[in-house]
Amino acid sequence: MSAPKKTDAENAKCAEFQEHLAELFESGEDPSTYPHLAECENCASLVRDLQYIAQQAKLLMPIHEPSDQVWEKIQHAISEK
Amino acid sequence: MLGTVTQATFTPARASNRLAPKALTKKVGMPTTPAPTTSPQTGPPAKPPNQHMRRNPPIAGEAEAIAAAQAGDATSFEILYQMHRRRVYSLCLRMLGNVAEAEDLTQEAFLQLFRKISTFRGDSAFSTWLHRLSVNVVLMHLRKKGLPLVSLEETLEPSQDDGPRKDIGSRDLTLSGSIDRVTLERAVENLPPGYRLVFVLHDVEGYEHNEIATMMSCSIGNSKSQLHKARLRLRELLRTGQRKEAE
Repeated sequence: MSAPKKTDAENAKCAEFQEHLAELFESGEDPSTYPHLAECENCASLVRDLQYIAQQAKLLMPIHEPSDQVWEKIQHAISEK
Repeated sequence: MLGTVTQATFTPARASNRLAPKALTKKVGMPTTPAPTTSPQTGPPAKPPNQHMRRNPPIAGEAEAIAAAQAGDATSFEILYQMHRRRVYSLCLRMLGNVAEAEDLTQEAFLQLFRKISTFRGDSAFSTWLHRLSVNVVLMHLRKKGLPLVSLEETLEPSQDDGPRKDIGSRDLTLSGSIDRVTLERAVENLPPGYRLVFVLHDVEGYEHNEIATMMSCSIGNSKSQLHKARLRLRELLRTGQRKEAE
């Protein structure tokens, strides 16, 4: 079931909210408490997603492994000094 | 060769010629690499100053290896390599998005470590110090290549196709709870370089905006703006991937 189409006025509110979203995130304030989100599922979803992305990024661990050649080259370079 | 090291001594920095080819004579077994575990805690953990510190806890045996490496012990230098290679390489790979370049710069970072380890005084965690050194190696490399560290998209109007767009009036899939690590890693790889750098440094590695601004020679506001745009772009990339999967 598709959601009802937003009016121009509603879209303007969304634009204004999203214009200031970066500042809201960086202010340390919790953007999810912003009043506009109570009436706009679209912007609420956006905030949830951005928070989710930032949370998931913190979980990315240093799991990549360099090939054995890297250490061999380091040893070689050091021995030539 | 991993697993064995040449028993030799070296003094990084000024007298690094002590690791001369003539000294490379006796092979010894590589001691077991200490597991990257945290030191036992004797009391309630102090609150770390930031995420970067939280993600760089002390490693068992590291202090001894640093001291020995500073005194010129090659085996200890390899132990330090084994302890930190994944962290340095992962950082390089995520910042650059290219395996060959990431390996080259991992090598360069450890060669710089070899030259500079005698200057490490323990004012910060060793891993933090090495991490910062590695970031600088990558940023220097990008500057030499003439690539802008701050995304050129910063100067574009939001309405242009390359820039992140406002999300108005569209109701679609939500990401929450649906993204695995591999998918996120792939999306990060596909970010424009300037966005990727700030995102990796801030959200993945835990640097603060003032630190990023200093390292990248940009304003704090610029760093914040780039981060927000990077997250918006990631959302687009992840949602596009979800839509394709759903089709």
